[in-house]
Amino acid sequence: MALIRRTWTAHEADEWTREDWITIVISPICYVLLTIGLALSLLLQVAGYIMIALGIILTVVMHYVIDPKLKAISNEYERKQQQYLEQLEAQVRWQRPPK
Amino acid sequence: MNVSFTVLDWIWVGLFLALMVGSGVLFYRLGKRSGSDFFLAGRGLPWWLPASSVYATHTATDTPMWITGVIYQHGLAGIWYTFFSAWAAISSFVSTRIFRRSLAYTQAEWNVIRFTGLGSELLRGWMAGWQFFMNMFVLGWVGIAMGKVCAFLFGWPPWIGLIVFSLVCAIYVLAAGYWGVVMADFQQGIIAFLVILIVSFWGISVAGGPSGIIEKLAALGELERMNPFAFTGWWSGSFPTAWFVTMLFIAILGGFGMGTTVDWYVEAQRIQSARTVRDASYSIWWGTVLGLVRNSVWAVSILAFFVLFPGITDTAEYEMGWFRLGFDYLPAGMLGFFFAAILAIHLSTISSHLNLGALYATRDLYQHYVNPEASEERLVLVGRISTLILLVGSFFYGLIMEDITSWLIFALWIMAAGIWLPNILQVVWWRFNAWGYLSAWIANLGFSWLVVWILPALGVIPDLLDYQQFWLLMVLGALIYLPVTFLTKPESMDHLVAYYVQSRPLGWWGPVRREAMRRGLLRPAGPVPIADAHEGLSSERLIPDL
Repeated sequence: MALIRRTWTAHEADEWTREDWITIVISPICYVLLTIGLALSLLLQVAGYIMIALGIILTVVMHYVIDPKLKAISNEYERKQQQYLEQLEAQVRWQRPPK
Repeated sequence: MNVSFTVLDWIWVGLFLALMVGSGVLFYRLGKRSGSDFFLAGRGLPWWLPASSVYATHTATDTPMWITGVIYQHGLAGIWYTFFSAWAAISSFVSTRIFRRSLAYTQAEWNVIRFTGLGSELLRGWMAGWQFFMNMFVLGWVGIAMGKVCAFLFGWPPWIGLIVFSLVCAIYVLAAGYWGVVMADFQQGIIAFLVILIVSFWGISVAGGPSGIIEKLAALGELERMNPFAFTGWWSGSFPTAWFVTMLFIAILGGFGMGTTVDWYVEAQRIQSARTVRDASYSIWWGTVLGLVRNSVWAVSILAFFVLFPGITDTAEYEMGWFRLGFDYLPAGMLGFFFAAILAIHLSTISSHLNLGALYATRDLYQHYVNPEASEERLVLVGRISTLILLVGSFFYGLIMEDITSWLIFALWIMAAGIWLPNILQVVWWRFNAWGYLSAWIANLGFSWLVVWILPALGVIPDLLDYQQFWLLMVLGALIYLPVTFLTKPESMDHLVAYYVQSRPLGWWGPVRREAMRRGLLRPAGPVPIADAHEGLSSERLIPDL
């Protein structure tokens, strides 16, 4: 079994999986590296260049990991969205939900 | 300082304002089609449009003043003050995803999707009213900041900058609603970002470039200002590591919840305006990255300002540092372009809060509680009237802001500290109910008064630093809302199952998940089609039992 899964059925993508947790860990690190890395790079510090390079690489990795899953979730959810919206409109009007 | 504008400068300003108002006219027909168009642009935007709006909205007139203040005071380590926006790192892939699937127009509406009964309606009404007020307050706050900038530049009385530019902004917000906001934000975001780069790099160049800044810092004995981790000790000094750890904890873990920062309420509208779950996630993630990159550029330019003007002790004076880099050093003919960019920064924030406040008033208060059968035309009309009320109210707040600022900062703080954890629990824990959440808000109001004002005044406890107040309020609040949660009934299982099947939240939802599977609404591989999912559910979720 591959470490990172790249193909998803809609049903499988709805579950919270290892790919989500990898993204949850990587994403804040990207923010720290990009913020501090850019500031130090503008001051011509070597540590800044390293940090910003790592930040960019991790950002690419993060998208590689999570993008197929987000696409699968989105495709499936948007198919059902209209029915959910009808329920929401019924709710705001204190009406019974459409079946 | 008084700035002298040439004809070319005023042409820049005139062209920019014409472009913004033109956007409103251009998208007028789209904005008036329905409430969904007026407030969410029909839920059809690609990720980069709401992302630019996230960035533009959170680049306000007072933002460069605030960032200049913390960098001038603490050096590069002050950049961590701006890192509160990192809540979006986790939120983009957790709470944003869950919230987008709920389809709630607002965070107030989400309360009646997640909770049920009287408690959920009380939460919706309270949150809608509070948000209407908060948006009016932010409009006044940002508006008077623009008034002060105009007073600084042109010697105008502050009310002119407050009223004139907010009125211009209101034209396109009234005309096109969120369509006008997001399209103008896109243009304003580009203009503002370009000018932030130009002015900042110009300032860095004037200071002798990066090498010149480093040399001058060394000559001043201030090289430590280049260290982003230059804290004053674990617990002591004006910038302790304990503060830093608390900030990271609040910001990053806050992404698991909804409402853990005041910015969430603005982002919630952008999330729902995105056309898919994926677009919503990327809009929040990339919009925030733009803001962080902007902060880094600003921070270095403020170091440049510091070496040019070291030793300023008056906060009000050094907070204008970034503006001075532009107005003191940009060549003639560019000043108008710089001022147009300041207007872009200002208008993008004003427009977002005008439309967002009107959304709460229209969707959560008027439509849900006053006129549930309102037509789409009626909702757009109410949206426009609400926008006008917010505008006039913001003028009032802006003009008295000096007198009430400390009270309102206190109000903002109490909205954040003691309900930080409940804002996460409502997302990740099935057993947390409306009464627990409501009691957290009420308890926090009381405890905040005690911890921040009353007990220190009576000498019962010492004056605490803000991060110490945060931890104390978090513990005290839990002593109330946890017993309340366990002593009151869970939300109805029908309601929770419907919510779970639609939103698929992360966290401790085991009993709800098992019930959904027992009812055949979820298979091990995922949910059954929606039409089947609601078979056999009672109507409790949709008709709250009051």
